[in-house]
Amino acid sequence: MREMLQAATRINLDKVSVLIVDDSAPSLDLLAQVVSGFGVKTLQRADSAREAQLHLRDKAFDLIISATNMAGVDGYELVKWLRRGALEANRYAPVILVSGHTPPSQVFKARDAGANFTVAKPITPKVLLERILWAAKEERQFIECDSYLGPDRRFKNEGPPIGVEGRRRDDLRGDLSDLAGDNMSQEQINGLMRPSKVKL
Amino acid sequence: MSVVRKFRAPNRLSMLIKASGGKMAKDALAAADLALEPLRAPSLAVLDAALAEIEGRFGKAAAATRGGETYQELYALALRIIDVSGFLPGSCVDQAAISFCALVDNCAEADVWRWDAIDVHVNALRLLRASGLTPDQRRAVIDGLNKVSQRRIDDA
Repeated sequence: MREMLQAATRINLDKVSVLIVDDSAPSLDLLAQVVSGFGVKTLQRADSAREAQLHLRDKAFDLIISATNMAGVDGYELVKWLRRGALEANRYAPVILVSGHTPPSQVFKARDAGANFTVAKPITPKVLLERILWAAKEERQFIECDSYLGPDRRFKNEGPPIGVEGRRRDDLRGDLSDLAGDNMSQEQINGLMRPSKVKL
Repeated sequence: MSVVRKFRAPNRLSMLIKASGGKMAKDALAAADLALEPLRAPSLAVLDAALAEIEGRFGKAAAATRGGETYQELYALALRIIDVSGFLPGSCVDQAAISFCALVDNCAEADVWRWDAIDVHVNALRLLRASGLTPDQRRAVIDGLNKVSQRRIDDA
């Protein structure tokens, strides 16, 4: 469980460089005002993913906040590109995607693109600041394989899916966790654990 | 099977945010709220314009021509309402627009317009935007809309 925003938490965003991307001008204005209100002094706006790509090739950012639904290249494609095609300095930058419509399929899509978090619109300062803090305290490692580069998508450490051999060094091998035999019945367990009188 | 590399990525945000100075979260939130205030009137104008455009192009008044419109256009207009609906807290306008997006998604997937359901959403958005409904009444409107939008084409 990630921690909730505390009123007394001290944050310093003065030197944080932020890129915000949205092809909806009113939404971009709202994002810019909120982020500026948080104290961000270095803020770059982009009104399309294409424009964002130009900035991401050219300059290092500490945080990227992008809309998902955009004409042409959308936010998901932008994140996928960012993780492999942007400046080396930007590839691991935290990304928060903002979306007006967030059915599970879209949230999974954001996760699988390599975004750190998804925030549902309408943007509220409290939720956005909380996610920025989460991104700053991100403890997940990065995963890189042929099909994915981004924060570890396993929020819970439950190992690889059942029946699939883990591909990571720290995944337990199947033969370590194989059952030594059938489960014992409750009666058998009771027989082992419960003291009983014995007649001699 | 591909090889997986797992590593700790540099996080500059993490270092910078902890630097001395800055402000408390409650002050940052208050400053953000203050910064948003000048956008209130223009945002509500955007919302009303989007609603008017939906009515004009996709409402009953456009019954003769609306069949030629695209799902993407209506979806984008509903998203525009969501974008700026934060200025109407408690109105449920945002939730009505989210239900509208789900409905349009459903229509696009089946490639069939559900005009009855679209008319209901347009009327509900107008009602939620304009009138003095109680919170319970607003909740009831949203519950109804969600039932309408989640109904699949083959159930209709």
